Amino acid sequence: MSRPFPYTYISCPCADTPVPDPARKRRSRESPQKPTPERNTETSEDQGETKQPNEKGQDEDEDEEQTFDPRSPRSNFSLYPPEQLLYCEDCHQIKCPRCITEEIVSWYCPNCLFETPSSMVRSDGGRCGRNCFNCPACTAPLAVSTIENVTGNSSGQGPWVLSCSYCLWTTLDIGIKFDKPTNIRSQLQKMTDSTTAPTFDARSRQGSRAFGDLKSPLSNFASIDEQSNAGERDAEQSSSKEDATPTPHLGAEARFAALKNFYRTQISETSNSPNDPLSSEFGFSSPGALNRLMSLYASSSRLSGLYGGNKKPKSKPPVMREALTASEGLRIASEDTDTALIERIPSSDCGWDGVASITQRTEQSPDVRFVDELLPLPVLLRTKRAKRCKSCKHILVKPETKPQSTRFRIRLIALSYIPLPTLRPLAQPSASSISGLGPTPDLNALSPLRPYHVLLTLKNHMFDPVRITLATPSVTPGSVATKVTVLCPQFEIGANSDVWDEALQNATAPLSDRITGMRGGEKVPEAGKVWEKGRNWTTVVLEVVPGTLPGTQAEDGRASDIDIAASLQKDEDVLEIPVFVHMEWDAEAQLEQQNVGKASKPDDLVARELAYWMVLGVGRIQASL
Amino acid sequence: MATLKPPPASHRSSSSSHTPTGPPKAPLKVDPSATIADTAVFQGTYPVTVGAGTVIHPRARFYAFEGPIFVGDGCIISEKAIIGAAPGTSASTRPSPSSSTGPSPTSSSTDVTLSTPQIQGQGQGQETATRISYFVTIGPHSTVLPGANVHSSATIESLVTINRYADVGAHSKICSGCQVPVNGSVPEWTVVFGSGVGQRRKRARIAREPAPAVMVAAQVAQLPVPPPAPEGKIIEDARLMVLQKEREVLGRMIVPAGAGKKK
Repeated sequence: MSRPFPYTYISCPCADTPVPDPARKRRSRESPQKPTPERNTETSEDQGETKQPNEKGQDEDEDEEQTFDPRSPRSNFSLYPPEQLLYCEDCHQIKCPRCITEEIVSWYCPNCLFETPSSMVRSDGGRCGRNCFNCPACTAPLAVSTIENVTGNSSGQGPWVLSCSYCLWTTLDIGIKFDKPTNIRSQLQKMTDSTTAPTFDARSRQGSRAFGDLKSPLSNFASIDEQSNAGERDAEQSSSKEDATPTPHLGAEARFAALKNFYRTQISETSNSPNDPLSSEFGFSSPGALNRLMSLYASSSRLSGLYGGNKKPKSKPPVMREALTASEGLRIASEDTDTALIERIPSSDCGWDGVASITQRTEQSPDVRFVDELLPLPVLLRTKRAKRCKSCKHILVKPETKPQSTRFRIRLIALSYIPLPTLRPLAQPSASSISGLGPTPDLNALSPLRPYHVLLTLKNHMFDPVRITLATPSVTPGSVATKVTVLCPQFEIGANSDVWDEALQNATAPLSDRITGMRGGEKVPEAGKVWEKGRNWTTVVLEVVPGTLPGTQAEDGRASDIDIAASLQKDEDVLEIPVFVHMEWDAEAQLEQQNVGKASKPDDLVARELAYWMVLGVGRIQASL
Repeated sequence: MATLKPPPASHRSSSSSHTPTGPPKAPLKVDPSATIADTAVFQGTYPVTVGAGTVIHPRARFYAFEGPIFVGDGCIISEKAIIGAAPGTSASTRPSPSSSTGPSPTSSSTDVTLSTPQIQGQGQGQETATRISYFVTIGPHSTVLPGANVHSSATIESLVTINRYADVGAHSKICSGCQVPVNGSVPEWTVVFGSGVGQRRKRARIAREPAPAVMVAAQVAQLPVPPPAPEGKIIEDARLMVLQKEREVLGRMIVPAGAGKKK
């Protein structure tokens, strides 16, 4: 249980009714008096049904075929605290995080609060492109600071370093200083980037690509021999180059780029389809690749008849080869590397503290093993997201684009449309009625078979008064059968009007309300009566008789450990009451949307209704009586 | 509430009386250029020595019940820092230096640490001196327990516990909330960060050669390797300069017209 007792959850209807079934609806309409043995909820609200049978009819026949079970595994995915839900004004439905889509409004750096244009996000690697860095040792933000005072170069342009004020890491730890205090990211990139420089590997890469492009039209019919020949030729070429510049040790990015290029070339060379000149230009996600795949299928037996029976098989499928040379991105680990690593780790200048930790290494290049190889990390960008209804695509939440602003342009949270349920236990009437209130019961240890009164307050945030009908199963689902009765299942909640109205009303009219409020201790819950009522809230009483746990039912004296284990296993002893809420109100027919075109009578009221399940977590039932 | 007062000449009450009616005021030996707030507390039976230019913030507490406390020159002891241990805690938890309770991974340094208080322990076997060397900063609400030895230019941030007989090396930093275990030793130029015992990191003291990524990039680009960066020591020099300034300002702020103002 994530929340302390008592809590309330609201079930989003998206979980159980993805598509309303018209056939089922019709069937249920034909036999409206279909007996539902497990649903004897209507006993508590017979009067509700007699008053408005038609509204209850349709809703409940679809949604309320069976009682919502808060313990069923599916419920985990539909129950949310009321604050987390949104509301779609077009669908007139509660929307949970599962039935909305998100889209990114803006990217920004949480450190400098600069917005990054979405076109730049990808090229920046999703990280801040300015001066924001995190410490590679401890992840604290780094500050750009000058060391000019110390070096004596006091002309205002001394060398600059990034320094961590927490763990005192500086870029001097990795022997790096910067000439300018701005654009640190690009300066660092220039220092560590091994891909862009016009050097031998770039040339050879271009060369190999040109070679591949040249070959690709012919390579449709390329056989393995040709491939291997080409490979050998490549190897010869590059080996001659290797001789010229021994150990072309590429950086990680350069190797990745080389490998990527190599495999792209390979894919285009081994592509089967003769009619895709595009395949050399694009990767897998291209029409060329699709063609290639389709031609694979076409050559298979099942589809060959379909496409005219091209029975002639391809002579030999071309085979992709692996990277063979360093210029293609291959790196052969030398035998000494591991030994050198192992020797370095226990040495006195490294030791345990000199080896980069796992958390440090996850953010760094895979080659990094020691702390003096750690590079400062640009700060990861964050997003602001808009949320849309999945079914009608209307925007539910739209934040301001500016990173500095925390405001929202649109925010349709469910609590402005559905009443906020709060639960609190009613102090038990003590034996000596003089003192008035007894102690409030301990919700973590409800004793079974003893009646408790729980106050359920619904607070309306709409500007229209709402009529509420509550329904609960008289016995909660699950193995612990708790009897629940809503003493007043039907009531009204006032509109969320001006606060001053209430004050004025209170001044003129009723002292009696206050008096009853004062005498709250002597008040006795009565069936059919609202417990308390305020400006925009109403409190009703639920009578709860917790059922006995399986263990206590068997034998009262000794609750055997098996039973306890069984009861504790699945939180069976948690008393959760499913409550079906049906609310209806007269709304003002969406003036701003519909009346613009039609200019119809502006003050007509439309009856609206909304129905959903909520779950009241009352407490935990004690094992012993 | 001991303010600046003339140091009593090597006066020492008997250390056996741990529970007098009122807490005994520790005999102070303070350099005239030190700045000590009015509300700093000095209790105990052993002398407390404060060096030149040291700033002691209000409500810092010195408990010299188990041995003398030496604070060197140019230190900053922040608010609510506790140097030493109050007598109630000391009687129960005092370990004798000979029987080291904590695990000592590096035996050699531990031995040095252990022998130090014994040497300074002026005859009485139970005496454990607490030493805070030059230019040390001790943050708010930190605790330096008896027998600890904090070397020069070390930084101890807030809410740190330096346990008994621990040794903090020069130019080291104990980050906020960390602790140094009993008999623990932090080498010089080391940062202890994280939480609890924390991780450790060696600071750059000399010029380091550029990171391998930079070397590779330079090699690939066939550019000269960037000129060596300045020594890491200059960062520490800069920090000490800032610290010096801070101390001057602090001295003026704590005792506006005090006698112990310098520079």
